[in-house]
Amino acid sequence: MTEKMKWSKLYLFFVFILLYTPIFYLILFSFNEGGTMNHFTGFTLEHYSTVLQDSRLIQIVVQTLLLALLSSLISSIIGTLGAIGIYYVKNVRTQEVLLNANNILLVSPDVIIGSSFLLLFTIVGFQLGFVSVLLAHIAFSIPIVVLMVLPSLEEINPSMLKAAEDLGANGFQILWHVILPNILPGILSGFFMAFTYSLDDFAVTFFVTGNGFTTLAVEIYSRARRGVSLEINALSALLFIASLLLVLGYYYLSIYSRRMKKVKRGVAE
Amino acid sequence: MNRLLQFMGTVVVFILLLLGVNLYLSHSSGAATSDTLTIYNWGDYIDPDLITEFEEESGLKVVYETFDSNEAMYTKVQQGGTKYDIVVPSEYMIERMIDEDLLHPLDYAQIEGMEHLVPEFLDLSFDPGNQYSVPYFWGTLGLIYNDKLIEEGSITSWADLWNPEYSDRLMLIDGAREILGLTLQSLGYSLNTKDLNELAEAEAKLSELAPNVKAIVADEIKMYMIEEEAPIAVTFSGEAADMMWENENLHYVLPEEGSNLWFDSIVIPKTAQNISGAHEFISFMLRPENAALNAEYIDYSSPNQTAIEEFIDEEVVSDEQFYPNLADVEHLEVYKNLGLEYIGIYNDIFLKFKMK
Repeated sequence: MTEKMKWSKLYLFFVFILLYTPIFYLILFSFNEGGTMNHFTGFTLEHYSTVLQDSRLIQIVVQTLLLALLSSLISSIIGTLGAIGIYYVKNVRTQEVLLNANNILLVSPDVIIGSSFLLLFTIVGFQLGFVSVLLAHIAFSIPIVVLMVLPSLEEINPSMLKAAEDLGANGFQILWHVILPNILPGILSGFFMAFTYSLDDFAVTFFVTGNGFTTLAVEIYSRARRGVSLEINALSALLFIASLLLVLGYYYLSIYSRRMKKVKRGVAE
Repeated sequence: MNRLLQFMGTVVVFILLLLGVNLYLSHSSGAATSDTLTIYNWGDYIDPDLITEFEEESGLKVVYETFDSNEAMYTKVQQGGTKYDIVVPSEYMIERMIDEDLLHPLDYAQIEGMEHLVPEFLDLSFDPGNQYSVPYFWGTLGLIYNDKLIEEGSITSWADLWNPEYSDRLMLIDGAREILGLTLQSLGYSLNTKDLNELAEAEAKLSELAPNVKAIVADEIKMYMIEEEAPIAVTFSGEAADMMWENENLHYVLPEEGSNLWFDSIVIPKTAQNISGAHEFISFMLRPENAALNAEYIDYSSPNQTAIEEFIDEEVVSDEQFYPNLADVEHLEVYKNLGLEYIGIYNDIFLKFKMK
């Protein structure tokens, strides 16, 4: 191993320590008997049992996940179609205007998006609740998806589209068999970006929740007024482990499917 | 193209799964009826067992949502897209909501147990005759100090804050009415004064406090005091109870000159759907045994006389800092709505103080 490699590894190690220390610190204290984050006094699983018994908190977690999945699914469909639309605009000027209009939504502060949604729902007389939050989340996720999908659209070789056309494919067939498979990675990353944005959004949700519907972020914020209890630590630890398992599962699944493909190919040969 | 369909299929399956769990949870957590009671309360401000008990007793399903500030709550109720049956604002916000006609008057034919409440806490200026509100918790503004850093018993009044010994050792909460109010009270004036001479005097006195102030902070005060970052702080009694629970060196003092008396009370907004259920909930919370359970869970002072006398732990109730003899402390005053002009004057004085 060269000297250079060593330093870069050390640097990488340092960055990961920096990123993960707060999370492990939080998880460590979820086992604290003392009831606060100040001193570690002893080991207990008590906070975990309170989380599992707190059916309201669990329901909030479920609703938060449901909201994130639904909003990212719908926004990736709308966003992908939108990106294809922008891609097909012939006039470069118009294309730029559309793209900038998209980016403005991306950089405008959440607080402004949230409060303007609240105003809109008020004027229209729309009930606050799950649907209002869902609509708001879809709205702020669409620009993200568009931004993630556009680069992979631009990577498509235009002669491929021409070829499909020449061979007699209609519009739908081109979309389904040529465009979509080529931009799949973009759609997936758009979906996951939208998912994480929706999952940890606070500001927009804060304005448009109501009538008993809350997300985890808003609930934790309301509870923090009286000091964050270790129950929240325990819940975060559980969520962290769940996402870790999800990532690991995805990793092994992709390795497995790659192997399966190789095996199939081997048989065919 | 199979992969995209596969992926979307998986997501949809997950969504359906979560929908099922959600449905199961909302059915198992409450009664099977479709009648609901929607409660909008401060975060972590009720004993969850009481909600379960109320659901079993009334057959109503409770939908519980929380807020973190009066202003956030006000926005949600005022904008009209919500249908809360029960809300628990603080007294100044109740006055404002009454003025703006956002509250539903209470029907005392449907409420049982008003006789349990401490008589001094009824018919106050923010809601004359308790037409709209029933007290939920109450408390005072006072001082909290750490006996490791300050000799025990050496602080008894607001005037002690001006002691030159405490240079750079004081933490104040960030509230114009609170800080100016305690200054007025230390001078022997009302904290609702509209006398400009008194206010000018208070402004001068307040500027003398500046060298003692270490920081003006909000909710973080709790953490700082527990961590012993400062020896003395001005805070609310409920917050103080939390801090003392975490750090046994802390003591709460209700100042001799008097204090602000605050309330969080139950009200029914105009937009409520289940008016009779809301009344039922108020009666349920007025029952002394329930009020006592709640007070022991939250650690705030209960306004329920019967609960105080019969149900709450003797040791808690005998603590004069949290359950003062109301006759002894003459100057326990409730904030009055001063009107925009005077609120502006109060804020300006406090802002000038903060700039120093």
